Amino acid sequence: MDEILRGGIPYGSTVLAAGTCGSGKTTMGMEFLVRGALAGEACAHFTATEPSVKLLENIRQYAFFDMNMIDSGLINVFDMDVLYSWLGLDKASFDLDDVHALIKAIVDIVNTIGVTRLVIDSVTTLCYKIKSEQLIRDFLFTLGKKLATLGCTTILISEITSATENAHWSSFGVEEAIADGIIVMGDVERMGHLLRFLQVVKMRGTAHSRAKHAIELTPLGVMLTPMLKWGAVSDKTSKWGQ
Amino acid sequence: MDKQVQFSKEDEEFFGSVGSFGVPKFDNAMHGGVPRGFLVVGFTDVGSGSELFAKQFTSPAEEPDNTILISTNESELEIARVYNKYRWPTDIGVRTLGEEYNARVLEKELLASRYRLEGFKLPDIQRLAQTRFVDDDTQDFLTEMTNEIMAMGPYFRAVIDSLDFFMQREDPSRVVAMLRMMQAHTQLHRGILFITVSKDTITPAIKQEMAAIADMVCDFKVRTIGSDFETSMTVTKFRNAPENLSIMVYRVTPEEGITPETVERIA
Repeated sequence: MDEILRGGIPYGSTVLAAGTCGSGKTTMGMEFLVRGALAGEACAHFTATEPSVKLLENIRQYAFFDMNMIDSGLINVFDMDVLYSWLGLDKASFDLDDVHALIKAIVDIVNTIGVTRLVIDSVTTLCYKIKSEQLIRDFLFTLGKKLATLGCTTILISEITSATENAHWSSFGVEEAIADGIIVMGDVERMGHLLRFLQVVKMRGTAHSRAKHAIELTPLGVMLTPMLKWGAVSDKTSKWGQ
Repeated sequence: MDKQVQFSKEDEEFFGSVGSFGVPKFDNAMHGGVPRGFLVVGFTDVGSGSELFAKQFTSPAEEPDNTILISTNESELEIARVYNKYRWPTDIGVRTLGEEYNARVLEKELLASRYRLEGFKLPDIQRLAQTRFVDDDTQDFLTEMTNEIMAMGPYFRAVIDSLDFFMQREDPSRVVAMLRMMQAHTQLHRGILFITVSKDTITPAIKQEMAAIADMVCDFKVRTIGSDFETSMTVTKFRNAPENLSIMVYRVTPEEGITPETVERIA
């Protein structure tokens, strides 16, 4: 990823990791935190799509993950349901006050424990409770701005149904506008196989590659390899060996 | 619900067909007391003495283990003080739903307000990061209370003071539905259930429905006469004994609690 981004994600950026289901968003997000924790950075993961118990159970099969990072407080995993309950937000939809309370809580946590790497998984699930598009935009923009001020690099995981060229990179259409970077993850069919791919669409402040890369979720973590351009229009004009 | 309840001969002799109101003069006026199996509903005015009457209603406590006072407005301490003052039995069951509500619901809301206003402190964040499940403490006090009554055995005596708490938080028709269940249980188990509700918290339609379910309806009133207050209870319904319909003027004495002064027959 660092090579693709020509160095990595700029500090304080808010990056939207948009992907279809099973494309490796959560694993990539968790590995992003683990690599930070290994470098001694304080990290936080807010999970809204699955209970933290399930998340940790799934993630512990990867060799890069060490439960001690959770126990020692290097990686702090927060259940959004618990956070909602503590803030009195266990309701169907959020109003402006609720959104501000949520931003304040996340910023408080980042500020108090000095979080420099943050993952919200997923911002789509979280934004479902915010009924107005304007409020979603305000929420993401204010959150991103405040986290950037604190020097926190944030990955907002977004669930999308399609990762084709014509697809939106976000569910609500506003997430992509406020993000400093967009990483798209999806599946592509190659010779009867469903390959996972990753593509950096945008990353402010970097001269990143825009090529599609195949992802393999190995026990060691996310492995990326450049994709061969089989099936491209130019390939159809010539045949093997000619 | 059980369709048949077996009563022992001993119990039948001990409890009899009627139970005391806890006020001997009322018992006399009602030709013995409250028939077993009766649901008594008291529609109340503020300051009419119904809270004291409700407590006094439990004082006969034929079986203290099978007697309960469910209070939604008072604390255990306040209730104990009244029972000690009038030397009523203190070994009955007491449940203070108002206190439970404060402890379980309001405290949580207060804490949420604090977090929202003041933010999280480091120990809060550490605890939050360690908390994996939301405490499932959603409370349905109405169901809990109904279950409490429905779990009581034959010849129980129970008082709910008052239904206002539920009328203000729940759909009144749901409260009435629960009341029907409690009435059926009371009748089946030959219990005595006394329930109070403020006149101002219910609509005429709900009042009508509650009165229809009840076996006995009492109307607690307070009015000013000159510079004095007059408290009275009007029995507006007494199933199968219309001769008991009456207006009873009472006062509160330090010795006996509710003490009737005059009884005027309506029918």
